[in-house]
Amino acid sequence: MVFGLLAGLNAAAQESAIQIGKKAPEILLPSITGQSIALSSQKGKVVLVDFWASWCAPCVEEQPELKKLYNQFNKSGKREKNFEIFGVSLDSKKPAWEKAVRKYKINWIQVSDLKFWTSPVAKTYEIEALPFNVLLDKTGTIVGVNLHGAELEKAVSAELGK
Amino acid sequence: MKNIKNLLLLFSFILVSLSSQAQTKEEPWTESQLMPTSELAALINDPSAKKPLIINIGPQAVIKGSVDVGPGKEKDNIKKLEKMLSKEDKNREVVLYCGCCPFDKCPNIRPAFSLIKEKGFTKAKLLDVPKNIKTNWIDPGYPVN
Repeated sequence: MVFGLLAGLNAAAQESAIQIGKKAPEILLPSITGQSIALSSQKGKVVLVDFWASWCAPCVEEQPELKKLYNQFNKSGKREKNFEIFGVSLDSKKPAWEKAVRKYKINWIQVSDLKFWTSPVAKTYEIEALPFNVLLDKTGTIVGVNLHGAELEKAVSAELGK
Repeated sequence: MKNIKNLLLLFSFILVSLSSQAQTKEEPWTESQLMPTSELAALINDPSAKKPLIINIGPQAVIKGSVDVGPGKEKDNIKKLEKMLSKEDKNREVVLYCGCCPFDKCPNIRPAFSLIKEKGFTKAKLLDVPKNIKTNWIDPGYPVN
């Protein structure tokens, strides 16, 4: 029985699509201006897919840190803007989303279907709680799951150095 | 000597009462006012059941038949809730829910539940959403708007 349970757990773990080494599922959602942006359009760059919302206090607190990270790595020069943040908001009301983007001067990609927790992307990416993120290499493969702070900075730097 | 002993006793008493206060952070609701999600889903799905007034005080009215007030952390929404409640019988069952985040991180449920308590609603309930509305309501397949 124990073996059965273990096998079951193992199978459940194997079913997860969001883990290191797997290709990141496509995201195609509208930006604030209404233009649809595909995650796959960012291939060739190291991409941080940041799931957040203006109603999520820890997510909002993290935005200035992401801004620092973005300014540090998304710059011209040797690395020719090889880093991008793909922000996916689980907001439900556009004004609240827009206000937060303005307040934190977020200048990276922002998309949302304004469907809160009913957004299909929350299911595809198996999101259980916010904030949540995945780090992708230049081919769109997941190389990090839910990294924050110094750990995230280290991972981005290492990936850009490859 | 006796004075010092009394002082020490008083000091330790203060410490003990402070720590017990910190441990039991007072919430505006009681355990019996928390409604399990399965119970609300059963009420919604039962055509013969008397329906409570279900009010969303979070980012979106996800639950079937619920009315949208908006996040309880915003004063304008608390005013909206107050207006809505003023038209209701205080003995009607009212269920408030948010579901953005776990209770300890939710900024919306406390201001809203404090208001409904203050208004004297005898059957005020808070939907027990320990994680969020996706995990505790959408994923189990409960009815959505």
